[in-house]
Amino acid sequence: MTLPSSLIQFSGHHYIRHRLVLSILSGKPIRIDKIRPDDKNPGLRDYEISLLRILEKATNGTVIEISVTGTALLLKPGIISGGTLTHECPLSRSVGYFLDPLIMLAPFAKKPFQLTLRGITTDDHDLSVDLIRTVTLPHLQLFGISDGLELRIKKRGSPPAGGGEVHFLCPIVKQVTTLNFIEPGKIKRIRGIAHAVRVSPQFSNRMIEASRSVLNRYIPDIYLYSDVYKGEDSGKSPGYALSLLAESTTSAIYCAEATSQPGVAPEDVALLATRSLLAEISKGGCVDERHQTLVLLMMVLGSEDVGRCRMGEPTLRTIQFLRDVHSLFGTTFKIVPAESSGSSNQLMYSCYGTGYVNVNRSLA
Amino acid sequence: LESSSSQRPRRRDWTKLIYSSDLTPAQILSSNKEEDSRESEEISTEIDEFFHVKKSDSTNDDETLDQTKDPLNPRALQQWEDEEMLDSIRNLFITGASGDADE
Repeated sequence: MTLPSSLIQFSGHHYIRHRLVLSILSGKPIRIDKIRPDDKNPGLRDYEISLLRILEKATNGTVIEISVTGTALLLKPGIISGGTLTHECPLSRSVGYFLDPLIMLAPFAKKPFQLTLRGITTDDHDLSVDLIRTVTLPHLQLFGISDGLELRIKKRGSPPAGGGEVHFLCPIVKQVTTLNFIEPGKIKRIRGIAHAVRVSPQFSNRMIEASRSVLNRYIPDIYLYSDVYKGEDSGKSPGYALSLLAESTTSAIYCAEATSQPGVAPEDVALLATRSLLAEISKGGCVDERHQTLVLLMMVLGSEDVGRCRMGEPTLRTIQFLRDVHSLFGTTFKIVPAESSGSSNQLMYSCYGTGYVNVNRSLA
Repeated sequence: LESSSSQRPRRRDWTKLIYSSDLTPAQILSSNKEEDSRESEEISTEIDEFFHVKKSDSTNDDETLDQTKDPLNPRALQQWEDEEMLDSIRNLFITGASGDADE
């Protein structure tokens, strides 16, 4: 097969998710080589294969070629078709791993996504479905993606056996709006979701109480909800977790969560989540670290105007993401210290939107 | 480029570091933080040369997952047991004083 000259090369298994997303959105083919070449078990992992498979299902005309050893892959993106899809996620990663890239693609599909994902709903590596529902999706609303945007948690599934199920509904848009988010505001309320499946339901209340013992000092508007799932809906393995979010007067949202570990009391899990939330709050900015890439991507795709957002320092993922955005979209962000930020390390990110138009959108 | 790994002023040119340097993301961040726990671990392995962990080019070889959440660090979070630390962020809440917004 002859390789197109516009092919963009990447190396290594890192950052595969956002590279695939950027390729599909930009329509530019990419080749990723040296995927764990020296590993005892070289090549793509089962969850990466599974991700490729769902991307193939969610698009039309996408060509994916994987080398015999699995250490290289070629993606020639098709159009994002969307529509009704069901996917069984492998138990090696949570559904959050798969939702993260799909959320970036869904607004630009031909037909609105109605996606059913089955597997693990909360784990230590990716955002739990609770935080995706309460924190990630509101971030899309900043860009005018809101009507009919929903994540329903039908069944919970804790590791290792999973058994959870979520429905993700996302509207399609023609264009995303330009972001101008520079005022972090002050925290006005804290919300939380505690869940405990296949263990004593008291665990939820114990987590809530422990978390409140720290948070009550700050503001009165705290509501920590104990989310009960019974029988079949509680999945196949025992587990519990506390997901927290703090919302500011300007709708900046900070989030944190902690999940059950063997031999750790629910109170300690809750304190971990709570302290991690306080650490996020103390970093400030308008967008928390885990949502930097989503927000920056939507800024790149924004209308042809200068978008601005105040955030903390870029994370490892964000730095590589900015570089990869530059290779695929040619967009460079201007990153300067935020004025009036005092002693904090907040930065102002600004870029000129590419004016991305969803050409896939079927006209109703 | 040797200055980039040593002490640098607080004001960093992020645009330049990201777009026109060959540093890996990890190198950019590690030349930055002082109390970052990851770095302190690296320092401790340097001291413990007897137990040399094979870590050639730490950014490429070890299996770090492509994950959205960084693992929680209970030790670093312990600072939030301290009352003074808890009080230090009061100004970030609507109920906190707005005028004296220093530490």
